[in-house]
Amino acid sequence: MFLIKCPNCGARSVTEFRYGGEYNPRPRDASARDWADYVYVRDNRFGEQLEWWYHRAGCQRWFLARRHTGTNDVVETRWPGGASGEGRRDESVEHPPDAT
Amino acid sequence: MQPEQRTPSRHEIEFTFDGQRYVGYAGDTIAAALYRAGVRVFSRSFKYHRPRGLLCLDGSCPNCLVNVDGTPNVRSCTSALQPGADVRSQNAWPSLDRDALAVVDRLEWLLPVGFYYKRFIRPRRLWPVYESVLRNIAGLGVINPDPDAFDEAIYDKQYRHAQVAVVGGGPAGLAAAVAAAESGGEVTLVDENPALGGHWRYQNRQLGDGTTEGPDVNQLIGRVESHARITVLREAVAFGWYADNLLGIQQGNRLIKLRCEQLVVATGRIEQPLVFRNNDLPGVFLSTGVQRLVNCHGIRPGRRALVVTTGDYGWTVARDLLSQGVDVAMVADARPEPKHPGLDQVGRAGVPSLPGHTIQSADGDHVVQGATLVRIGPHGAPVPGTEIELNCDIIALATGFVANNSLLYQSGCVIEYDAEVDDFVPTQCPPGVLAAGHAAATDGLEAVVLDGQVAGLEAALSLPDIDGQDLQHVIAERHRQLHEARERLRPAQSVRPLVSTASAGKRFVCYCEDVTEKDVRVAIGEGFDDVETLKRYTTVGMGPCQGKMCSMNAVRLCARETGRTVAATGRTTSRPPFRPVKLGVLAGRKLEPVRRTPLHYEHVALGAKMMDAGQWKRPEHYGDPATEVRTVRSNVGIIDVSTLGKIDVRGPDVVAFLDRMYTGRFGDLEIGQLHYGVMCTDEGIVLDDGVVGRIADDHYYLTTTSGGIDAVYQWLTWWLAGWQMAVHVVNVTADFAAINVAGPRARDLMGRLTDLDLSTSAFPYMEFREGSVADVCARLLRIGFVGELSYELHFPAEYGVHVWRRLLTAGADLGVAPFGVEAQRILRLEKKHIIIGQDTDALSDPLGAGLAWSVKDNGADFIGQPSLARTRKRGPIEQLVGFQMLDASVVPGEGEQIVSDGQIIGRVSSARYSPTLDRSIGIGWVEVDRSHEGAVLQIKTAGEIAYATVVVDPFYDPRGRRLRE
Repeated sequence: MFLIKCPNCGARSVTEFRYGGEYNPRPRDASARDWADYVYVRDNRFGEQLEWWYHRAGCQRWFLARRHTGTNDVVETRWPGGASGEGRRDESVEHPPDAT
Repeated sequence: MQPEQRTPSRHEIEFTFDGQRYVGYAGDTIAAALYRAGVRVFSRSFKYHRPRGLLCLDGSCPNCLVNVDGTPNVRSCTSALQPGADVRSQNAWPSLDRDALAVVDRLEWLLPVGFYYKRFIRPRRLWPVYESVLRNIAGLGVINPDPDAFDEAIYDKQYRHAQVAVVGGGPAGLAAAVAAAESGGEVTLVDENPALGGHWRYQNRQLGDGTTEGPDVNQLIGRVESHARITVLREAVAFGWYADNLLGIQQGNRLIKLRCEQLVVATGRIEQPLVFRNNDLPGVFLSTGVQRLVNCHGIRPGRRALVVTTGDYGWTVARDLLSQGVDVAMVADARPEPKHPGLDQVGRAGVPSLPGHTIQSADGDHVVQGATLVRIGPHGAPVPGTEIELNCDIIALATGFVANNSLLYQSGCVIEYDAEVDDFVPTQCPPGVLAAGHAAATDGLEAVVLDGQVAGLEAALSLPDIDGQDLQHVIAERHRQLHEARERLRPAQSVRPLVSTASAGKRFVCYCEDVTEKDVRVAIGEGFDDVETLKRYTTVGMGPCQGKMCSMNAVRLCARETGRTVAATGRTTSRPPFRPVKLGVLAGRKLEPVRRTPLHYEHVALGAKMMDAGQWKRPEHYGDPATEVRTVRSNVGIIDVSTLGKIDVRGPDVVAFLDRMYTGRFGDLEIGQLHYGVMCTDEGIVLDDGVVGRIADDHYYLTTTSGGIDAVYQWLTWWLAGWQMAVHVVNVTADFAAINVAGPRARDLMGRLTDLDLSTSAFPYMEFREGSVADVCARLLRIGFVGELSYELHFPAEYGVHVWRRLLTAGADLGVAPFGVEAQRILRLEKKHIIIGQDTDALSDPLGAGLAWSVKDNGADFIGQPSLARTRKRGPIEQLVGFQMLDASVVPGEGEQIVSDGQIIGRVSSARYSPTLDRSIGIGWVEVDRSHEGAVLQIKTAGEIAYATVVVDPFYDPRGRRLRE
């Protein structure tokens, strides 16, 4: 029952969260092989990986966490699409200026 | 010493042991009461069924395990005596004194170490016989399988938080708690005993003026108990350390999960037995066990005692025995030239002592009647021919301790062997974990208290809002004092470590599993010379005590036999639980939230039979589902559908968002229109369904299945988080009550409660309107799950009861009646409307499920589109079809197999008898080549083959006229 620091609520027990899987961006116009990789294949890495978490028993928001799968050390948590521009931001959707 | 411990109040408590009546005193443990009453044999050992008596009195060893009121394996030495307790011995038949299986003690040759790998395996065909015999003999304690005999106790869970948690209420833990609290920290002190004080409770030394020697622990206890920032958890065992400083604690029938920022482990130390012949004979005690009997329970443990020691502290035990009027026959001190201030005192009392001697065997039948002492040679081996026999009835072993550093191990401390203290000591602890006192191998009361203070101050130092500057100075000063105290106390702690003395007969290393020194030697000879493999092969340390009595001795023996150092030999990994934990404590109570709709008590008042639907309670029916079906088909029925998931979605990107999330198209939906919507995963599997209505250009209202709302809400917000689209999703499920008004007379009924124009031209099928219904602002959705003209009313939950009652009164002359989930299931099945999750599973795609019409095929991307495009090209493998049984009286069970020539070709997902059609109907998955109209299906129903034919159209009103009219 390690702790995860929700970007909104702070450090809480992992039991408050739902694991959302490896960060696995959805490909566009993918070949059959790339699509099958995206749908069925996971890295299952030993080490740090970026993953989705949902604060089910708290603010009910999704965020990204960088966690070491061997030690459960949560190195970093943040909202998706932050200043770094990561996340799954989709440029094909037109955003009004105040939405970004 | 608190006076009440020395002299338990004379309030008598009656109880029974193996059916015989006994009397103890209030404040006694079960073990103390039995021992005072003369009981010496408490149990029979695991393998050899040898008699065993009290050894540690500390809850560490397995010797005093008994069954109390049906609960097996209760440690009688730490369990308070309750009036009327039914205490029974374990592992003995017919009685403790005459145990038939004691014959095993003489069959040792048949049961060598690792016998389960060597014996009883050939001939193979006899294994079932061996197994049944062994199963009966094996195990410890018996559970009564009668469900009526089950413990009715409530097991619960508690979550606690502390800035500083201190485990152990002995001098170090008390000092740490006071230091941390007085520096501003919020402290929780966890102690497994009923009273604070730890070893000091039975080892303090009263001086002539009534005070005690050394630091005043009584005063520390007082400060702990009165400090506002210290919470004390008594009789609470911290059995495990888990990630990020979470402690698992058992307190009675409660599991406490305590999360702390700083943890001070002050868990003390565990006294270790010496390995010699018959070292398990009742009457052989660890010296602290004797001290507990004498000093905590006021019991005179025997008439004539032998004290075996390797250092100074055995002399203190001799002094304590003298104080209870025990004749101390001898103090055998392993050191050639013992020096101790207490020596004189004990010597003055006429107690003889033998320097350079130790015990070779305990002698006696069933109980100690004497002992054989032997001189120790220069290399620790006994010198033959120097044996001395002695009469005694108890033997106190003061032969050393090991630091109880189990929690420290678990938390990831680096723990290394320190030859100077001959123990494993923590050399580096992870952030947030501190060790103090005996657990950190610090000895001497003064040093232990200082060590506790240092740990408490350091814990406080890393807390927020603490002034570090001042604290640093105090810590430095305490460190200096601690160093000085250690130097001063060191000479008094000289010991001569001993492990075992060679002799014939059984010398036990592990009491739990009856592993002897010979077993360990044989195992090492067979190649199991690593402590971890040695443990697994011999099972040393794998019994109820989990190595508390044997782990260190096994390590030392392993080191001796393999010629390695103790440091190089190392220790086995320590894992939770530190003490046995009841399964009930871990399982706890099942606490499932129950959700009730705003109409719940209306249903109850109407005599509904309620059923569970996920967390919800829903009316299954109000008496007769078939009548309810007929009401809907011929008049009008109302059903509570408040459990439907309801989601409000709005924002500039809402159209693009919904077109990606659903398989259908929603951009061209007019305001006021509804559409059936299916959501898939990217695997192309159906996730959920519902209706989608457009409220404004940038505002939609969605419904989901009752069970799917949480998953759908999380699904939508997850994609939104990634896409960063300008859409706001709100789960409004609980905000709205919902009632479906369905049946040919639904329009008549609704017309009486609303001014809205309900004509089909003004308010057609698959549209919604907003207006007043029974004076309540409502949204009316004209949809038809049950296949009749129907209005699904969504309105603020507070008015649920009001609207429900108005519907029933206003429609009384129309024959209105409520219907339940069962009737709804029949009604929708007659229409062949599927239920996601009932008729679909984790392999169901919308094309096979007959929902191809709801999947757009315009090349636009949506979740699941690339997978579904491939499925469409290949064609579905299975198809969801309707079927009708040839014999209307046969209704197959849901999940039953559809077969062909003995092969499974499909399965039934729903089936019911249809009162409307007087037919037995269902839907199920079959291979595509069996999905055409009229195809004959064989359905295994209760083991028999029943026949059915495929029906492609809905069974009832196939053109859908009734719901559109």
